[in-house]
Amino acid sequence: MNFTYNQMRILFEPKSVAIFGATPKAEKVGNVILRNFIDKKYDGKIYPINPKYKTVFGLKCYNKISEIKECVDLSIFAIPSKYIPQAFEEAAKRKTKGAIIISGGFKEAGHPEYENMIKKISKKYHIPVVGPNCLGVLDPYTNVDSIFLPMYKMQRPPRGSISFITQSGAVAACVVDIVANYGIGLSRFISYGNAAVLNENDFLEFLENDKRTETIIMYLEGASDGRELLKIMRRVSRKKPIIALKSGRSKKSGEAAHSHTGNLAGNYLAYKAAFRQSKVIEAKDLDELFDFVRIFNQPLLKGKRIGIITDGGGLGVLSTDSIVENNMEIAPLTKDMKNKLKKILPFYASIKNPLDMAADAGYEEYMGAVEIFMNDVNIDMLIIIVLFQAPAVDERILNMLIRYSSDRRKPIAVIASGGAYTEMYKKILEANHVPTYGSPSGAVKAIKKLYEYSMYRKDMTKHPNQKK
Amino acid sequence: MDILKGLRLIERYNIHSPNYAVARDENDAVLIAKKIGYPLALKVISKKISHKTDLRGVKIDLNNSEMVRLVIRDMQKRLGKYGIEGFLIQKMGRKGVELILGGKQDPQFGDMIILGLGGVYVEVFRDISARICPIENNDVIEMISELKSHPIIMGTRGKKSIHIKSLIELIKTMCKMMKKENIKEIDLNPVLFNERGYDVVDVRIVK
Repeated sequence: MNFTYNQMRILFEPKSVAIFGATPKAEKVGNVILRNFIDKKYDGKIYPINPKYKTVFGLKCYNKISEIKECVDLSIFAIPSKYIPQAFEEAAKRKTKGAIIISGGFKEAGHPEYENMIKKISKKYHIPVVGPNCLGVLDPYTNVDSIFLPMYKMQRPPRGSISFITQSGAVAACVVDIVANYGIGLSRFISYGNAAVLNENDFLEFLENDKRTETIIMYLEGASDGRELLKIMRRVSRKKPIIALKSGRSKKSGEAAHSHTGNLAGNYLAYKAAFRQSKVIEAKDLDELFDFVRIFNQPLLKGKRIGIITDGGGLGVLSTDSIVENNMEIAPLTKDMKNKLKKILPFYASIKNPLDMAADAGYEEYMGAVEIFMNDVNIDMLIIIVLFQAPAVDERILNMLIRYSSDRRKPIAVIASGGAYTEMYKKILEANHVPTYGSPSGAVKAIKKLYEYSMYRKDMTKHPNQKK
Repeated sequence: MDILKGLRLIERYNIHSPNYAVARDENDAVLIAKKIGYPLALKVISKKISHKTDLRGVKIDLNNSEMVRLVIRDMQKRLGKYGIEGFLIQKMGRKGVELILGGKQDPQFGDMIILGLGGVYVEVFRDISARICPIENNDVIEMISELKSHPIIMGTRGKKSIHIKSLIELIKTMCKMMKKENIKEIDLNPVLFNERGYDVVDVRIVK
């Protein structure tokens, strides 16, 4: 990496920011970005820069950055591309420590010359640059937010431990919006567009060392430097899980193939190989991505034996099917466990795994059964199926699930299928970091990924010197 | 690169293939066949023919000199127009599981190796797995387990597992060879594996 961790951190935690192109005109990119900083109560200094205005939203507006007496940590550019090299150089001379270039109109639009100038200035003054042609950065901890999609149209996520790096702005916007809607928290978000200076490799290395980041999501169209990417992914995977979504999987290899191998191995196969080799968890679409991400806030698995608790038989059976199909195991219940369960459950409950407590099970039954499953050494994780439609199920079950998820004794996943009423409960659970799924197959596929990654990490601690 | 050059190159890296020799004509072929021993395979050598099988330029399981003569006459008649440089007389490979092993220079990640169950349907089922070079032992194990056909490789219905150790060795050697010889694409297809080892029966190399 060309920039140190602290240099990169300025992009997320600046004490002051200059917004080039800040304007009172509501439909403009510079307007949305400025309003993000004001509305979210960013607590550093904000300097709008636009020669057309004396003030914007009550803030003094500057002609150019050189008029500002203090040094500005971060410069955000939302002005036409042809003006950016000059504005950036002025900012660099005024000792700005980082830059985010939102505007398009560079390499992607037939103007590589502007992009090359950006690169040169970045190199000369040693300044990290995000973009151009991107959404930039979102940090819920500092409220730095250069996403030019208005907050009333695109929700912002709460604070969390998942960081997300992406080339594409459009996919990024959807993901952030959906994540926020689920109530899932983010740590750092980066959309880096053309990657003139900083690319996915730089951000992966930054997140590797970032204490706030526990899980990394990466949306990738193409690698900037594949060999380097593989090396970095390998290293980072040993410390934190990376979940990747690669687009362009259907793209044929550019060159004509002269062999079977050439014909069989398209562009994507190398990515797939690299992900497998570096233990990066690959999601095939956005649905899988969300399913996978949510399970990774749970503790790592020690084994593959799953205990299922349900108040409805059918979903228990479907879960069993998924578990078997995914090569996971249904934990056998010991005699001791069965006796304990018999004491707390009605005579018509089915005392085996899946444990079917029948449709009138309520808080007490769930609580008792979960506790017994948690204490059993033969069970590595719990799937708890809750039919929120059932009469005896109430809010106390939510509290219980949240408690068991946060005490981190064993991983849990909740399955709740249903309509608007169930969705409401699911959202509360998600917002409290309980991975909650609408279907057994989605849950079990995610659990399988958590299991594979857990085994890899276990292997790593056993053989730390292995080259992988 | 024709099959002959391919075979000679992999030989230099101690990649194992069945005994072979090149015959100029019919009489030559019969003499060589006697030395190598039946049953054997006969393959046309021509710069202009890259898909030998498609043009029926390969005949296998030849059991006697009569068959060798017939096949050569037939190929000369049909394929003469492409310019025949000779005939490869090759001992039949061992009976076993037919695998395809390939290598390719990927523009992003560099040399990579693919593994799959070989045979005529490889491009239909596309049941292949891949890794980027350099490749470690456990990568090869994972490559096998990723294949839908892995029970065929690891042994099923009373059949023994193929010799995994030599598969690992072969894949590692391919990585080494690709780098050193700057190979763009390589097919070892088929490679016949049994519980004791393997035979590379055909090679195609693009530099």
